[in-house]
Amino acid sequence: TTAMGDSVVDPARGTGLEQAAGSTPQGNGGTTSLSVITEGVGELAVIDPEVAQKACEEVLEKVKLMHGVSSDSLSKVGAGSEAPRPAAALSNGELGQGCEIKCLDDPAAVASRIQEEGEESKANTVRSARKRQKDNSGKQSWLLRLFESKLFDISMAISYLYNSKEPGVQAYIGNRLFCFRNEDVDFYLPQLLNMYIHMDEDVGDAIKPYIVHRCRQSINFSLQCALLLGAYSSDMHISTQRHSRGTKLRKLILSDELKPAYRKRELPSLSPAPDMGLSPSKRTHQRSKSDATVTISLSSNLKRTASNPKVESEEEPVRLAPEREFIKSLIAIGKRLATLPTKEQKTQRLISELSLLNHKLPARAWLPTAGFDHHVVRVPHTQAVVLNSKDKAPYLIYVEVLECENFDTANVPARIPENRIRSTRSAENLPECGITAEQRAGSFSTVPNYDNDDEAWSVDDIVELQVELPEIHTNSCDNISQFSVDSITSQESREPVFIAAGDIRRRLSEQLAHTPTSFRRDPEDPSAVALKEPWQEKVRRIREGSPYGHLPSWRLLSVIVKCGDDLRQELLAFQVLKQLQSIWEQERVPLWIKPYKILVISADSGMIEPVVNAVSIHQIKKQSLLSLLDYFLQEHGNYNTESFLTAQRNFVQSCAGYCLVCYLLQVKDRHNGNILLDADGHIIHIDFGFILSSSPRNLGFETSAFKLTTEFVDVMGGLDGDMFNYYKMLMLQGLIAARKHMDKVVQIVEIMQQGSQLP
Amino acid sequence: MAQTEKKGGLLRKSSTSKKPLKEKVVLMYDEIFTTEDPSKCNPRFWEELFLMKVNLEYLEGKLEALDGEELMKIKDNINCLFQHCIQALGEEHPIRVVNALQTLCALIRGVHQKNKSTSGFDIINMLVGFDKAELCMKNLMESLDSLLCAEGSESLKSLCLKLLLCLVTVTDNISQNTILEYVMINSIFEAILQILSSPLSRREHGYDAVVLLALLVNYRKYESVNPYIVKLSIVDDEATLNGMGLVIAQALSEYNRQYKDKEEEHQSGFFSALTNMVGSMFIADADEKISVQTNEAILLALYEAVHLNRNFITVLAQSHPEMGLMTTPTSPIPVMPVTPLGTTPPSSDVISSAELPLDADVQTSNLLITFLKYSSIVMQDTKDEHRLHSGKLCLIILTCIAEDQYANAFLHDDNMNFRVNLHRMPMRHRKKAADKNLPCRPLVCAVLDLMVEFIITHMMKEFPMDLYVRCIQIVHKLLCYQKKCRVRLHYTWRELWSALINLLKFLMSNETVLLAKHNIFTLALMVVNLFNMFITYGDTFLPTPSSYDELYYEIIRMHQNFDNLYSMVLRLSTNAGQWKEPASKVTHALVNIRAIINHFNPKIESYAAVNHISQLSEDQVLEVVRSNYDTLTLKLQDGLDQYERYSEQHKEAAFFKELVRSISINVRKTLAFNTLSQELLLKEFSTIS
Repeated sequence: TTAMGDSVVDPARGTGLEQAAGSTPQGNGGTTSLSVITEGVGELAVIDPEVAQKACEEVLEKVKLMHGVSSDSLSKVGAGSEAPRPAAALSNGELGQGCEIKCLDDPAAVASRIQEEGEESKANTVRSARKRQKDNSGKQSWLLRLFESKLFDISMAISYLYNSKEPGVQAYIGNRLFCFRNEDVDFYLPQLLNMYIHMDEDVGDAIKPYIVHRCRQSINFSLQCALLLGAYSSDMHISTQRHSRGTKLRKLILSDELKPAYRKRELPSLSPAPDMGLSPSKRTHQRSKSDATVTISLSSNLKRTASNPKVESEEEPVRLAPEREFIKSLIAIGKRLATLPTKEQKTQRLISELSLLNHKLPARAWLPTAGFDHHVVRVPHTQAVVLNSKDKAPYLIYVEVLECENFDTANVPARIPENRIRSTRSAENLPECGITAEQRAGSFSTVPNYDNDDEAWSVDDIVELQVELPEIHTNSCDNISQFSVDSITSQESREPVFIAAGDIRRRLSEQLAHTPTSFRRDPEDPSAVALKEPWQEKVRRIREGSPYGHLPSWRLLSVIVKCGDDLRQELLAFQVLKQLQSIWEQERVPLWIKPYKILVISADSGMIEPVVNAVSIHQIKKQSLLSLLDYFLQEHGNYNTESFLTAQRNFVQSCAGYCLVCYLLQVKDRHNGNILLDADGHIIHIDFGFILSSSPRNLGFETSAFKLTTEFVDVMGGLDGDMFNYYKMLMLQGLIAARKHMDKVVQIVEIMQQGSQLP
Repeated sequence: MAQTEKKGGLLRKSSTSKKPLKEKVVLMYDEIFTTEDPSKCNPRFWEELFLMKVNLEYLEGKLEALDGEELMKIKDNINCLFQHCIQALGEEHPIRVVNALQTLCALIRGVHQKNKSTSGFDIINMLVGFDKAELCMKNLMESLDSLLCAEGSESLKSLCLKLLLCLVTVTDNISQNTILEYVMINSIFEAILQILSSPLSRREHGYDAVVLLALLVNYRKYESVNPYIVKLSIVDDEATLNGMGLVIAQALSEYNRQYKDKEEEHQSGFFSALTNMVGSMFIADADEKISVQTNEAILLALYEAVHLNRNFITVLAQSHPEMGLMTTPTSPIPVMPVTPLGTTPPSSDVISSAELPLDADVQTSNLLITFLKYSSIVMQDTKDEHRLHSGKLCLIILTCIAEDQYANAFLHDDNMNFRVNLHRMPMRHRKKAADKNLPCRPLVCAVLDLMVEFIITHMMKEFPMDLYVRCIQIVHKLLCYQKKCRVRLHYTWRELWSALINLLKFLMSNETVLLAKHNIFTLALMVVNLFNMFITYGDTFLPTPSSYDELYYEIIRMHQNFDNLYSMVLRLSTNAGQWKEPASKVTHALVNIRAIINHFNPKIESYAAVNHISQLSEDQVLEVVRSNYDTLTLKLQDGLDQYERYSEQHKEAAFFKELVRSISINVRKTLAFNTLSQELLLKEFSTIS
């Protein structure tokens, strides 16, 4: 039995692989083990001895398989070691150890030695470690070994934290959290905080130091914690003790006592030196703008604003306050919009509200959904749109930000007045963006620094107009560029230039034909046009019109602000999707899904990262009046073009992915408005408001597991087509992979059930 | 007239105010109007004087009654009074400050009324004395400046502004008001800005501040360096500029609202009249009676802001709720919410302190929309001089806007759609468009609508040539932008084309009358060149290929007009008359239009002949057009997409001089005594004391 504990691994792995490869499910033992197998190899036995035992019985039968499979598995699981070695060890009973050593790389060099010594009792100890958690030092040490092994990942940590009743273990894991990569832990933040709020004292105590530590490090983390704590506490009764624990932590974070120490006196030393247009950290009422020109007028003005209460005091500002105000104003806008009756009014109000908001920017605010540090500098208010919703008013805004190295230390960018649009034509700012015929080739010239004479409309502007730069258009495919050259050259050489009327007409129709299909404006559905515009195109356009567009760190983000909707479920769905995505990736199932980021602000509001380049199928059908297949043909070309085939493959892969998601999560309320289609042909499901057996009020009987209409099948080439078969195969593979890693998925949901009203 | 006004005031006063008090102050005034130093026998004379309630009527009347020489005799006492007034401005007791301010008003007005003929320097001498003028005026301006900026009483500030307005408008021609030289040296520009930047003071004094600024900017605009011009052109504080925009928007929308009320009132009256009388001719007469006093001062302020300050352009697009429907809110704007720790973070300004009042019925609007509506009302009737001025100024402002890149960008912004309810003159042959059915479109459509509306409604004997030229220029500038930036505006260009063709028709049919007064060829040339712009550059900005076909259709349909125009200009350009040159320019410009007509007309005729149709339908003509483009050659004309930029100094100086004069007179008139000696004001301070 010496080798048993270890060699167990392989058959289990083998079955997993076989199934993933598309063969029929193995025997009973195989399937049960599937459910618990995790990515690691060596530790598998440690985690689940039951499986190990069952698998043991099958070892001999599976010996044949082992050979082929394990070499396969090695390249696949690829836990970071050399392939030949275990392959060599394959034939004998040492295999398990080979795997073990391989997997435990650095800290585990010691661990593996320990294991060698205590091999015999292995399966036994581990089992008990899990079952009983008694003060058996030997058993504990096995657990410890597991915890110290490299294969102990965050998912396991969370699971132990949740399941373990042992304060020591919990405390240990609490400490162990510090060793994981921040991004990995961030993924489980909702779970951690929910445990903190709703589980007993010990778990809370175990988690708290880590949270506090991270809060000190990152302002974004602080914000997320504060928001989540608020949101997850909201379902509880006000007077409960636990509740107050969650709120206490929240208060602590918000009170800003977790301010990093290193930041303390750094800023004042920085501020006297305003570097290249970045104002000294804080935005005072009279900002340091082009001081040189304005000094005369401002000298006396400044003295007055000194009495202005808005001017900040010397002391360090509250770190989170600007961001919270920013979020608060966005939510407030949403609430106000909801009271307006028509889409049109909502849109207009939104634009005007945002233009007011713009006055307060740039600020020490950021979008938590972005993946990098930045400051919000401007909201291009005219680009914002109200999204389709019956009684609420979710809206989509674009946000211009300037990326910065480190949010905590970087200064807030200086405000640039709205009309100071720089020349976007200089090569450095605009490296070859997509050129379309409808290029708004506005040669927005640099506004000359105030000409102080009384004729502000200086004469040199006329010169500029006359020497209208024709090369602006030279990159476009039409020959209008020559046209305008002509109009200038002809002035010099007095020879008349003749043009054919037919050419003008032809150019007109050609140019219109070349513009990518765009949607018509519909006052009832203002978002359709905005969403249809290709993202790159939109970025270019907004950058051109932005006073900050010339800055190299300029980025465009977008976000959907939702008020009156509980996004906690969406967040859960995001986590599940993300987990599934990584499982499928790991298992190499080419399913495509697009988890979109969620920021829960409170129990009834939040932000969503929009899926770019995607419009809802409802909008497509309404706008194009085509069937989905015809729309694909229109957008991507004919059946045999590469572009169509790619789009079709994308469609199939995403469709299969989402069908599984819908099946697994029991996603309801699937209508065309909740299904998006992106420019590459992927479909994306949105709105996971009804998952896991909840469904829209009056539609409790929605029984179909997922949505697959004949139209979808048509796009795949019909029921008999190859692509449909591919679709079916993908579904199967995906399902098997998901089953295999089930616990990782279930765990996410399970923990969140604590103290919440989730179904 | 002023005399009777004062008498009335005097009577009213005497009946309301307490007698003994008045007597005392009058006695004291009388003392000043002697050659003796009043403080000789009463050392506390000046101190006491400013505790007395001012009798403006008496003081001003007294000053007026004296002629120049008599006034010279008591110059020392006047100077003394003036100086003591300035001194009193620094006093702590608000009653003294109020009285001093009012006395100053009376002094300045009284002296000026007396000395209409004398030079500004005499007035300075009379009021302050040359020797002390510089210092005195400096003190005065500084006191006013600090009063305006202090956290003091609002009515005190209001009085300060009134005094300044009084000072600025005492002469008809502002540039002759030499005393303003001191206002130039000791600038109160910053104080004005401060008033505009804070919501509370803006609501109270915004209007006066804006008018004052507009007037100050016009002081010796073309002759010297006016610091107000310089400073206004470099303001870039958004709060201030927005404040200014809000004040202007408020005033304009107030006008719009008043007009609408009157119109509605009138309409109901008209309908009752209609039951008695039948006759559609009535409408025109009826409409004329609706007139609300136009507000040129505020329009001038808008012009100066748009013209001088590039940053102000952004304010035009700044949304604000439609103000006509709201009564002016009196409650102070809620104080900024305090952040958790009570500190104010750098961007606590993220809180929108000026949150838009929430009202579902209120449509958001912006200054530009309000201005366009205002323009549509003002421009419909250009018969009286004030309205002509206003209309012209509106068009000048639109010209400035049409030249600005940023303004054009938001005018053409596809995402900023608005319904703009332009006022349309009721005419016999068209129905009043239902307000509700207006489409929501980019703002430039409203501008174009306004221009089209103007073109079709002003073809009359008293031909407003100048306005027409400006109107066509605006359209041209907008087209230039669209061409340059490839903006394909979905606009019903057909309306513009037919309006332009009708204009040409009108010019020709009234050739003899119009030629006597105007050079109609410049206008005709501009109109023809607009067509040339569409013909040769249509591919860059027309929305659809079929709109290009429609252009040809329209030209062909109305070819008679172009034919007539051509024969007219040909006739005049071959004659060696004064119109030879301008007319021949038009001949050249017509070359493409004539080519189109000559190319397609035979084709259409033959099509009709082949198919045996007497009258071709529009679709048939379009079909012919579409199939015959290729054999048509056009000539490319120079400079179609270029224009001369607006320049005030060279061309408009006279207009603005005249405009400012009329505004000055108007402001002075409205600056009546009752506003200066508000009972309210005294009540406010009597409670303090």
